[in-house]
Amino acid sequence: MALLEVEDLATHFHTREGTVRAVDGVSFSIDKGETLGIVGESGSGKSVTCYSLMRLIPEPPGRIERGVARFDGQDLLQMGKSDLRHIRGDRISMIFQDPMTSLNPYLRISTQLIEAQQTHRDIDNKAALFKAIEGLEEVGIPDASNRVKSYPHEFSGGMRQRVMIAMALINEPDLLIADEPTTALDVTVQAQILDIIKQRQERLGTAVILVTHDLGVVAGNCDKVNVMYAGQIVESGSAEQVFYEAKHAYTRSLQKTIPSLQEKGQELYTIPGLPPDLTKTINGCAFHPRCPFPKTGAAETGRPTLKDVGDGHCFADCGYCDSSGSIEDVLAKGDTDDIQLPGEGVEA
Amino acid sequence: MSDRRDDFLVLENVKTHFDLGRDFLTRKSKGVVKAVDGVSLTIKEGETLGLVGESGCGKSTLSRTIMQLIRPTSGKIWLEGKELSAISDRDIRDVRKNFQMIFQDPYASLNPRMTVLDTLSEAIRTRHPDSKGDDLLQRVSELLRTVGLNPAQMKRYPHEFSGGQRQRVAIARALAPEPKLIIADEPVSALDVSIQSQILNLLKRLKSEMGLTMIFVSHDLSVVRYISDRIAVMYLGRITELGNAETIVDDPLHIYTKALTSAIPVPDPRAEHARKRVILQGDQPSPIDPPSGCNFWPRSPVEHDAQMKETVPEFVEIATGHWVSNCRFCVEPTATSAS
Ligand SMILES: Nc1ncnc2c1ncn2[C@@H]1O[C@H](COP(=O)(O)OP(=O)(O)OP(=O)(O)O)[C@@H](O)[C@H]1O
Ligand SMILES: Nc1ncnc2c1ncn2[C@@H]1O[C@H](COP(=O)(O)OP(=O)(O)OP(=O)(O)O)[C@@H](O)[C@H]1O
Ligand code: SF4
Ligand code: SF4
Ligand SMILES: [Mg+2]
Ligand SMILES: [Mg+2]
Repeated sequence: MALLEVEDLATHFHTREGTVRAVDGVSFSIDKGETLGIVGESGSGKSVTCYSLMRLIPEPPGRIERGVARFDGQDLLQMGKSDLRHIRGDRISMIFQDPMTSLNPYLRISTQLIEAQQTHRDIDNKAALFKAIEGLEEVGIPDASNRVKSYPHEFSGGMRQRVMIAMALINEPDLLIADEPTTALDVTVQAQILDIIKQRQERLGTAVILVTHDLGVVAGNCDKVNVMYAGQIVESGSAEQVFYEAKHAYTRSLQKTIPSLQEKGQELYTIPGLPPDLTKTINGCAFHPRCPFPKTGAAETGRPTLKDVGDGHCFADCGYCDSSGSIEDVLAKGDTDDIQLPGEGVEA
Repeated sequence: MSDRRDDFLVLENVKTHFDLGRDFLTRKSKGVVKAVDGVSLTIKEGETLGLVGESGCGKSTLSRTIMQLIRPTSGKIWLEGKELSAISDRDIRDVRKNFQMIFQDPYASLNPRMTVLDTLSEAIRTRHPDSKGDDLLQRVSELLRTVGLNPAQMKRYPHEFSGGQRQRVAIARALAPEPKLIIADEPVSALDVSIQSQILNLLKRLKSEMGLTMIFVSHDLSVVRYISDRIAVMYLGRITELGNAETIVDDPLHIYTKALTSAIPVPDPRAEHARKRVILQGDQPSPIDPPSGCNFWPRSPVEHDAQMKETVPEFVEIATGHWVSNCRFCVEPTATSAS
């Protein structure tokens, strides 16, 4: 049995401008010891997916509309407040995109790391402080035994992020949800942190959900990958499948956008157009207005669903367009005149 | 010296230290964080300088010091011949519209109680105090389009945007006063690659169209190489290597720069699993009361005796425009060719 099984998760925000369908029918599962990467365009619902699993969606305006998230047999989405508190920060913990959301600016790091332990287990101050220092050393904070007494603002952005990682790992969770955990870090520390997480996984079988926009990080660290677009998963599979046999036009466009070390003179490739307005009903494939492939039929109503194309490699294909050719060829033909450029077609 | 001050931006031996004060009970000094510890740099008008280095090496502190958000402990900074460090706190606001900063953390830098419209209007008015009504709306819409956001969303509050969208609002705000110098502190690290490329293209375009001078702070060397003319590599408050963007990334001399370049993740699972890295040992030492000599020896692959530790390596121009903190083990090719 999978450690976490998510089925048809939908989380919407009810705002003045309408209902934002931030996450709209997401299903995936993750086993013990596994690392699942979630990639996708900004605003595609990666963070909202994580927040939903942690039940940290601000309600209102947010609401988990439907779905099941079975963690070790229990549905996280239906669980009562006290059971949740029991699990959160102990069996499941999260590293946030924004370090200050989980660090209290008014409390010393030591106080926060000790409290994090004492909320969940019987441990005296001295032992908890010792573990706190150990935890900070593990994430590479120099001079940890002195700096543990500092306040969050006395650390640099990257060091704060490392403190948060130490905090998330301190109770040895079964599942670690890491939302852009290394975005604020430099590459050397990023490599170290990902290594720490990997070692934890090998030692304790921790499962990890890793949200990142860095495909390099996914390539080096993830077993499985979900590619999200406009609130849904449009492609999923093993890292090798998604990197080497990408099927969905969005995944393939995304791969083309990576600034490589070579192309200095020319403009970087960007996906034309803007992501769809999530308050509007999306008919057919959500990527369709930006998709470079030729259309060969009429748009369906409703969004295409994920279909398995072999060995667990899934992608959502609307079936009315021919995406068999290479994206380079299609772009070279320049047959992209129905694509909206950024800023076009939007009125104040 | 006076001719140096004619350059666009000149930093002369800038130091920014944080005194941690005294312990309340023992009255013992808690030490001094030497976040920036002697940086000299000259930046030409229209140039983009990349600033890289490990977390905590002082990139943000240096950026804030140039912005005069923190006053330097010692050293001098000139912008277009004006000595910034001599301008009073009262007058600095007026000068500051000429240099804007995009912060690392878009959450902390936007006022949560102001809509995007309010935030951008306020920023536009620092340059165009009389702009209002349709003109103002027009400018706000234009800015939002420039950064790839939908002007229909201008009445939203920061929390109603995703992380990446918020960073674009922050970039729009920095562009609003039409500055001459932009200091971008990790401006794209919170963005997904597609929008990251959009912003990079955008910044590059602004640079050539508006003659914008830029300091671009990032830990992503592939991004820095793309956007920058020159790159400065920082370690523990000082600059260890400085040169052409291509030279620094493709042919670095210092082992520290080599470690940074070899840690760049590549988007290819097989290559990622197969590659070897130059891994430095240990961690960056604490910047609280760092030793007076060379700070790098704890990371060096070579054993150091007391005398070696005491010697501060000289910062020399080893080839035209290529400066390095020159010391035999750190820049000697044989000691560093750990593939
Ligand atoms: N409180 C909220 N009110 C209204 N809309 C919201 C709220 N929080 C998030 N959204 C919307 O939900 C969508 C998904 O946001 P989410 O933060 O999950 O994006 P993301 O994929 O994590 O993006 P990024 O890579 O930029 O962090 C976005 O379009 C965002 O504008
Ligand atoms: N207000 C402060 N008081 C005390 N120490 C500080 C203060 N601000 C920064 N520091 C320290 O100065 C050093 C440099 O911090 P800075 O934020 O400039 O690093 P950085 O290079 O920007 O790192 P990152 O890549 O993590 O953002 C760090 O050791 C930090 O802890
Ligand atoms: S329009 Fe068709 S080819 Fe393009 S992304 Fe959608 S499903 Fe794929
Ligand atoms: S070789 Fe020189 S620069 Fe390098 S660590 Fe030793 S003393 Fe420092
Ligand atoms: Mg997010
Ligand atoms: Mg910083």
